[in-house]
Amino acid sequence: MRGAKPTGCGSPVCLTAHTLFSLLGRRECGRHRAAQKFERCRSYRKSKMKPMITDRKRHLVTAALVAPAGLWLLVFLVLPFMAMVVFSFGERAPEGGYQAAFTFAQFANLPSRAAAFWNTMMIAPVGAFLCLIVAYPVAYYLAIKSDPKYRLVLVSLVVVPFWTSLLVRTYAWMYILGSRGIPNLLGMIGIEDIRLLNTPGAVLLGIVYGYLPLMIMPIYVSLEKLDRRLLEASADLGAKPVSTFFGITLPLSLPGVMTGVALVTILLLGEYLIPQLLGGGKVFFIGNALVDLFLQSRNWPFGSAIAVTLVVVVVIVLSVAMRIAWKVSGSRQVDLV
Amino acid sequence: MTAAPANDIEFRSVTKRYGTVTAVSDINLAVPKGAFVALLGPSGCGKTTCLRMIGGFEQPSEGTVLIDGREMNGVPAYRRPVNMVFQHYALFPHFDVEQNVAYGLKQARPKLAAAEISARAREALEMVRLGGFERRRIHEMSGGQQQRVALARAIVNKPSVLLLDEPLAALDKKLRTAMQIELQTLQRELGITFMLVTHDQEEALSMSDMVCVMNAGRIVQMDRPQDIYDRPADLFVADFVGKTNRISATVEPDGATLRLSNGMALAARSGLRPGAATVALRPEAIDLVRQSNGEGSPLAGIVTHRIFLGSTAEYQISVDGLGDFLVTADRRSMQEGDLVEPGERVALTFDPGKVHVFPA
Amino acid sequence: MTKWYRENAPISAQNLTDEWMRLKRGSVTRRHFLGVTGLGLAAAVLARQPGLFNSAAYAEDLGTTMSLATWPNYHDPATFEAFTAATGVAVEVNVFGSNEEMLAKLQAGGTGWDLFVPTNYTISTYVKLGLIAPLELAKVPAFSQATESARFTTEGAIDGTTYALPKNWGTTGMAVNTSKIKTKLTSWKDFFEVAMTEADGRAMVHDYQLTTIGSALVSLGYSFNSIKPEELAKAEELLIKVKPHLYGINSDYQPGMRATDAWMTMCWTNDGAQLNRDMPEVAYILGADGGEIWTDFYAIPKSAANKPAGYALLDYLMTPENAVKEHIANGAPTTDSRVLALLPADVTSNKIVYPDEASLTKLEFGAAVTLTDPARAELMARFKSA
Repeated sequence: MRGAKPTGCGSPVCLTAHTLFSLLGRRECGRHRAAQKFERCRSYRKSKMKPMITDRKRHLVTAALVAPAGLWLLVFLVLPFMAMVVFSFGERAPEGGYQAAFTFAQFANLPSRAAAFWNTMMIAPVGAFLCLIVAYPVAYYLAIKSDPKYRLVLVSLVVVPFWTSLLVRTYAWMYILGSRGIPNLLGMIGIEDIRLLNTPGAVLLGIVYGYLPLMIMPIYVSLEKLDRRLLEASADLGAKPVSTFFGITLPLSLPGVMTGVALVTILLLGEYLIPQLLGGGKVFFIGNALVDLFLQSRNWPFGSAIAVTLVVVVVIVLSVAMRIAWKVSGSRQVDLV
Repeated sequence: MTAAPANDIEFRSVTKRYGTVTAVSDINLAVPKGAFVALLGPSGCGKTTCLRMIGGFEQPSEGTVLIDGREMNGVPAYRRPVNMVFQHYALFPHFDVEQNVAYGLKQARPKLAAAEISARAREALEMVRLGGFERRRIHEMSGGQQQRVALARAIVNKPSVLLLDEPLAALDKKLRTAMQIELQTLQRELGITFMLVTHDQEEALSMSDMVCVMNAGRIVQMDRPQDIYDRPADLFVADFVGKTNRISATVEPDGATLRLSNGMALAARSGLRPGAATVALRPEAIDLVRQSNGEGSPLAGIVTHRIFLGSTAEYQISVDGLGDFLVTADRRSMQEGDLVEPGERVALTFDPGKVHVFPA
Repeated sequence: MTKWYRENAPISAQNLTDEWMRLKRGSVTRRHFLGVTGLGLAAAVLARQPGLFNSAAYAEDLGTTMSLATWPNYHDPATFEAFTAATGVAVEVNVFGSNEEMLAKLQAGGTGWDLFVPTNYTISTYVKLGLIAPLELAKVPAFSQATESARFTTEGAIDGTTYALPKNWGTTGMAVNTSKIKTKLTSWKDFFEVAMTEADGRAMVHDYQLTTIGSALVSLGYSFNSIKPEELAKAEELLIKVKPHLYGINSDYQPGMRATDAWMTMCWTNDGAQLNRDMPEVAYILGADGGEIWTDFYAIPKSAANKPAGYALLDYLMTPENAVKEHIANGAPTTDSRVLALLPADVTSNKIVYPDEASLTKLEFGAAVTLTDPARAELMARFKSA
């Protein structure tokens, strides 16, 4: 088993996967599960022979290594989330902000943002799917078709856009899609007054552009570790390339696909910037609703209720997605990447 | 084509290069129908490349590969009437056992009925004695069982040739021996050509009825297993197939007398090219005689190591003037039916007819 | 145009740079752009007015940075460059699209603003919430109450205590690109009608409940400040009907108008003047049926980290010689007669900046209640998410 180490493979994506899994109550990344079990048995047997002090020392080291991240998560994730839960049962102060109370009114008011939820729940998966359509061929080319000599360079190029802020790159799109950009070029060939900016299409374009690397990388990783002999075996058994792709390559890269889709979908559920800039405030995500609630109407309790609901939705989406991935790709490949 | 071709597989002057490296060099090979052929050689000798050119995973740089008398150049793997058992099996991890076996059947066009696919997959699983394992996941199967799944998957399409790439390499010795017998049985039952790639000479000799020894991209010898062993074509084959003692020698000008480097003269078969030569002698071709009374013998030495193997024993003997010799002695053939102890002096005798002489 | 003005007008002197800066302010780093230090221009200013920085406001230790919260396209970047050159304090400028946004940030705390620009109707709420402190006028010697126009400045003081000093007044009208839209607009009623017809997909409204809801109310014949449920319901109905036809909902509409992505927008005086200056085809029109008249103030948050610098910048901006350049760049009318006297005639005669009194009579100042009224906030949210 390639890359099998007792403590997981340590790749950033895999670490993310571990975090996600721990959210779902699964502790291991499947690729390593068997190896881990084996390693654990072995080290357990070994440790039994050693004096107890070694065991305690090891626990201390583990604690010391986990502590910074644990503290970070506690202070910047757990405590704020708890505050948000508390707020969500409160009331809006007359001039805005939070006023202590215990009421379900905020949750009862959720339907008033149904349109934003609906928009988000529709556009996020569509955006993730479009991203997938564009990302898969790229990842496939990088992992399978590209010359290994240049692969590292090509893969690095995928992440190059991250070197500048998404804000700046999205502004660039505002100018490309604005009247002085593509519509201007179209005007030169006689197609006048085409409006691209501030349309749902512009938002989807921005989403695909902004999230593409996040989709390419996990798919690339899962395709890259795909055993080429499986593809040869498929061809050997008479499968045409298309059948091989749909019968073998795609299912076996599904964990990567699901990671990418889950990653992009989850981030899109909280997206604010792209709809704001490329949708002109007309394409309204739940993220925009949150910004408005906190930054315009200053209704913190309602904003908190929406945020809590969003977290719940994300957890549900994630667990469903992962269960599908586990089912389709077989228990041995159930890791996220 | 009117008459069925006699050969299932034919290589005509096949060369394969990767960049500047020549993996396979000008190979000519004909495998008759129904044969069990082993491609034997050290790693990197080009045997796997040959197999992959038959499978369609590589295209020859020069020359032609024919299957069933048809030229295969440019024909993709999925259109070739051969199937392969891959090294490490390459089973589909996301399918269960039956789905793995049925995969080839599902590719058939026109499509086969689901019931037929299932029936034939189960039939193939029965053939490899895996009935009842249909719904198992691949990772729940042992190495030997996975090997059988790979076999069932490869034979289910009834190929005219079954290619096996180091199929037993991952199994332990006991299982390997059992599988060797099973493969032979299977080949007889199916009556199709088996082509096996292995670096294990024992495997090649025990299973196949034709062994093709390769070295450095070329075929060195192609013969029946016993002929490979008894009449190696060159020193490489003698060395690679079985164990052998090498003695440097000179062929006298008469072309029939050999003089070993310790001065001992041997009458060999005539017609040898005079000059420097290497003599190869199998360990089991040598008999040992105790030399307790110190009588003179042209070939004698002291036993330095002994490996007891039950019915036989292997001795390492430091022969006067010739260095270390390896001798395998049948216990019953020994005087007094006893084992020779390390440190004892022994005389070595052999039938000069069993000596192989290669020009140096 | 006087010679003095020509020499000191930052626009005519550095048209290109200014254009670029405006682009920057309006877009790329709109929330965080840092006031850049420009020593050359500042040195020239210093040379001409040697006594300028000797006043009490600059006596204290001012630190090296301060933060200003204001509106898009609202200042002359040269002002901050000169201020930095004079005091060594770099000004970080944050721009916002609505008073609600400013209030939300201050309520959440930790803004770090040392000076900000609230609009008239919000000041009483800031005072009520204890977010701004009374101003120590002694630290702003350049301010002169006597020369201020009472009409625009009363809301800066509450119960006789001054909390904010006026920056400029202005109106909320509509900017229309007349080369694209041939209909002559005269009212908010026209605005919403044209938005759904001739300007389909090309009209913008503010991301700001006060003006967007207020203008819709006006177009229906109601008060700009109405919080009556049935009137708000009508306004909501209109807005939701218009929404599919809009180009965008954004208070930063200059980029869209300049690129001619948008042909028509709700617009503040200053933006109207700036647009019209660079694109004469963009007309600025006040609603004959009503609309907003407003004054923006300077105030210092209680939470200000660098109050001395806040006062220093305030005093600098209250100095007529500096204020006049701000007004020329910004385009909004002044409340201070000292500044008015210094402004060139082509500015004071500009009907966009100083409209006829008659066109102002129907306009209303925003009412404090609209800022905190939950019904208006929710209406805006429903409109945006519809």
